[in-house]
Amino acid sequence: MTAIADNINDLSRQILAGNIGAGARAIRWLDDGDPRGADVLSLIFPHTGRAHLIGITGPPGAGKSSLTNTLITEQRRRGRRVGVIAIDPSSPFTGGAILGDRVRMAQHTVDPDVFIRSIGTRGQAGGLSRSSHDACLVLDAMNYDVIFVETVGVGQDEIDVVALAHTTLIIGVPGLGDEVQAVKAGLMEAGDIFVINKADRDGYDDTYRQFELMLHLRAESVSRNEIDKTASAWSPPLLRAVAKRAEGTVEIVDATDAHREYLQNSGHFVKRSSHREREQFICLLREAVVDEIMEGMDEDILNSILRREIDPYTAASHELARWRGNTTS
Amino acid sequence: MPCARYLVNTMPTASWVGFKMLKKTRPLRILLAKLGMDTHTVGITVIAHALREAGMEVIFTGLKQTPDMVAAAAVQEDVDVVGISTLSAGHTRSLPKLARLLREAGAGDKLLLAGGVIPEEDRQLLEDAGVDRIFTMGSDTRDIVAYLQEWWLNKSEPTEV
Ligand code: B12
Ligand SMILES: Nc1nc2c(ncn2[C@@H]2O[C@H](COP(=O)(O)OP(=O)(O)OP(=O)(O)O)[C@@H](O)[C@H]2O)c(=O)[nH]1
Ligand SMILES: [Mg+2]
Repeated sequence: MTAIADNINDLSRQILAGNIGAGARAIRWLDDGDPRGADVLSLIFPHTGRAHLIGITGPPGAGKSSLTNTLITEQRRRGRRVGVIAIDPSSPFTGGAILGDRVRMAQHTVDPDVFIRSIGTRGQAGGLSRSSHDACLVLDAMNYDVIFVETVGVGQDEIDVVALAHTTLIIGVPGLGDEVQAVKAGLMEAGDIFVINKADRDGYDDTYRQFELMLHLRAESVSRNEIDKTASAWSPPLLRAVAKRAEGTVEIVDATDAHREYLQNSGHFVKRSSHREREQFICLLREAVVDEIMEGMDEDILNSILRREIDPYTAASHELARWRGNTTS
Repeated sequence: MPCARYLVNTMPTASWVGFKMLKKTRPLRILLAKLGMDTHTVGITVIAHALREAGMEVIFTGLKQTPDMVAAAAVQEDVDVVGISTLSAGHTRSLPKLARLLREAGAGDKLLLAGGVIPEEDRQLLEDAGVDRIFTMGSDTRDIVAYLQEWWLNKSEPTEV
């Protein structure tokens, strides 16, 4: 393998040529908030937007990694190059992490057409890391056809992956009565494809019926929704799997393929990506502006808030006025 | 639109503060693995937790790895350090092979550590082959953490972040 270039232009060219070390280095920079990451991104961005981003989410231990492992096998059988971003939680106390998702995908480690990257959440809520989207762009530029994004084990509210992915798989499991309740609120509205894994376990039939019922309720509320007509055109399938024995894999990949086709035919494939990039643009602007305001800010205002002499709303409008005065003069 | 939630925190300052902190504490990334049929898992587990507590990102690849798998994973993960735990012999062949594969993959700059049951008479051979440091049975995890922190501090970065 050729050495990783240390200059941004050469490194970007290596990424576009599919060089694994170069892509891995760029993801590192983006994950670390190293400014070189943004430089690389600016060069490779025009070459992205082609890959199919598939989110895999569900409660802790549901079998997300095991299932991803079998989905990689099936995608490879269909001749596609596969990238994986696997996210595990960082300790909120030390910032350290044990990232173990790739243990279950070890059989694909030396396949040159599979790239697996473990990422810690590093303080980000929502089930992803700050860098997840950017890491997907790098893999996209490296010409991976399908990119799986495995979230941390989630409750009902950590569904940022829905905004990142074209297609979101929600993984449920039998025997977690409360878990289904938790899955219900946030995740049921979010998913494009539902999979009940560990179908070899007791309680599968009950879990299947519960999911079926909730999907039925979801379908009813969607059909009443006059505004978002497009949402009703896809009705989410409910599938069974035993990831440990690679059962149900073909059906799941058939479903993700069908969803991609549906998105492409309806124009939503491009729409979902552009919405994501718009959100990121706004978020970056917001950060930059806050950064700038804070830089010129008098520390006293924070103390005044602490002493309850001024409320946060008034303080914010004062600071905004001061900042506007500075930028216009 | 479900997408509206992406990266948009209800407390915008929180993510800003997080980003600043993240820049200062760029964590060391270390890959931990066991090679071959060695199933002694206590040492590697102890090390993984100690390093996590010290704020490092530990990428665990599991048991029964081959040198080729470890080298490939080290490149994909762009780790700073590769650590191998070995208690069932075989290390005089597998570790030199791993060191060579890492160099061939353009990853020769990564620190290569080994720990476990490694007889003193093997030390020279392993060090000559490219193993940077060996921690045998009874090593204090605090010494291992301190060694890594100092190495990380002194590691020259092309540009400061
Ligand atoms: C517990 C144990 C087992 C358990 C393991 C359970 C488990 N899940 O781990 C069981 C009973 C299963 C077992 C089985 C066997 N064992 Co056994 N086992 C031990 C024993 C008693 C303790 C190992 C241990 O857990 N130590 C505690 C941990 C914390 O210490 P550690 O692993 O050394 O880790 C420390 C350092 O080495 C270092 N470190 C370790 N890894 C790393 C990695 C990095 C990156 C770094 C920086 C540092 C580092 O940091 C740690 C903290 O100080 C040792 C004897 C001994 N005193 O070491 C024999 C020993 C390792 N076993 C031995 C043997 C021979 C076997 C068997 C082949 C026995 C048999 N004939 O069936 C089998 C084979 C298993 C296999 N396929 O690998 C021999 C190995 C001889 C050799 N290498 O030449 C030993 C040395 C016993 C002996 N004196 O003969 N074993
Ligand atoms: N019985 C049964 N067990 C399974 C199945 N799939 C996975 N498992 C087991 O479930 C456990 C967790 O699997 P993982 O794939 O690590 O689950 P995960 O959702 O990725 O876990 P986190 O990333 O930690 O949230 C492992 O012990 C698997 O062997 C299955 O279909 N049936
Ligand atoms: Mg997992």
